[in-house]
Amino acid sequence: MQKFLADAAEFILILFQGVVLTIGLTIGSLVISTLLGLVWALMRVSGVWALSGTAKLFVNFIRGIPIIVQLFYIYFVLPDLGITLTAMQAAIIGLGIAYSAYHSENFRAGIEAIDHGQIEAAQSIGMGWWMVMRRVILPQAIRIVLPPYGNIMIMMLKDSSQASTITVAELAMQGKLIASSTFKNTSVFTLVALMYLCMSLPLMALVTYLEKRFSSGQR
Amino acid sequence: MDQTAMIHLQDVHKSFGSNHVLRGFSMAITKGEIVCIIGPSGSGKSTVLRCINGLESYEGGSIHVNGTLVDNKAKSIVAIRQNVSMVFQRFNLFPHRSVLDNVTEGPVFVKGEDAASAQKRGRELLARVGLSDKENAFPRELSGGQQQRVAIARALAMEPRAILFDEPTSALDPELVGEVLSVMRDLAREGMTMIIVTHEIAFAREVADRVIFMDQGVIVEQGPARETLAHPSHPRTQDFLRRVTHPIETD
Repeated sequence: MQKFLADAAEFILILFQGVVLTIGLTIGSLVISTLLGLVWALMRVSGVWALSGTAKLFVNFIRGIPIIVQLFYIYFVLPDLGITLTAMQAAIIGLGIAYSAYHSENFRAGIEAIDHGQIEAAQSIGMGWWMVMRRVILPQAIRIVLPPYGNIMIMMLKDSSQASTITVAELAMQGKLIASSTFKNTSVFTLVALMYLCMSLPLMALVTYLEKRFSSGQR
Repeated sequence: MDQTAMIHLQDVHKSFGSNHVLRGFSMAITKGEIVCIIGPSGSGKSTVLRCINGLESYEGGSIHVNGTLVDNKAKSIVAIRQNVSMVFQRFNLFPHRSVLDNVTEGPVFVKGEDAASAQKRGRELLARVGLSDKENAFPRELSGGQQQRVAIARALAMEPRAILFDEPTSALDPELVGEVLSVMRDLAREGMTMIIVTHEIAFAREVADRVIFMDQGVIVEQGPARETLAHPSHPRTQDFLRRVTHPIETD
């Protein structure tokens, strides 16, 4: 234990650099995936055949390919097409696109769970499609969507470690680098695991809170 | 086309899959007229209302409101819906907004009225339906009858030329029906044009100018409310009225 604490004191600052990147990755890809996911979901429920078909195709396409392969593609293949991204940019975009598929399914389920009478009532006072979504459907769908959204957030935090495969020096990568140069595998990876836990446990508490607050059918 | 008619349906056909719900339905409603549509369930009564404000499309015939063709794929449908409000069987209030916000939602966000004047008018409308003390309540905190009265205030807030009522009291507990009917009765006195799908025969007799009896997608019989309800000439109307007014008896 003494030895672990000594190692921890030695490595923690370097690992924190990884934590910063991990958090940046998670937040960046969360923003992209949420916006994209909302676009797919709105296309799916638009009632326009071409839009919903395109979104469905795209979402299944993304879901059918491992995240790691998508990252390789964006980081190693796009440069051949003249699009060169930094590792961090590629990771944020890759994770963002990959996770937009999960968000979109969640958002769609939330939107479709709203009573159809709400849409009719909104239409009957002259609202167009966009306003029905913005003023009536989405505000109600948020309550349904939030708890699963929190779970996806936790998955994203953990899956951000896949960015290490395209050289982003996030937490898992930093750990691996330190471990392979010092051979202190036990201390380093225990530390890495604890740091992921420190980030995901508060998120889990948030999810539990959201579920309690929203799933009871009350406001 | 009848030029004096505000709402005019000509030979309207509507199917849901293989179910031919409206089979050549025609009617003309003049300004200030109050028409009750009665008939057995599945006869197409609600579908008529839903076609008038474009919640349903129709396949044949034509529907005009103030001379404008109803086409729910066209931009003109928005103006038609603002002129013809609807009150639903299940109220369909917005559960995430307060009572006053439900009433002002249309004026502020659809018509672009400024919030202060919309609220002032909203409060007047809530007073009119007897719910001044509930403006900050949320729909779930109200009884069904109160919710339906808010829904009527929400419809009135759009300053419509006509209101469509789709079985407005059918989802209510019996003791709450009266308060909603009394609000509707007040509207009728003020000269509002109303088309009411209802099973409240006594109310139709008292308030309606004209009663239309529908069955299997067509008008079987229509006429002045009192006479038609007292002396229906068609056997199907007679049979329906007997069953509605004496629900316990069996033959």
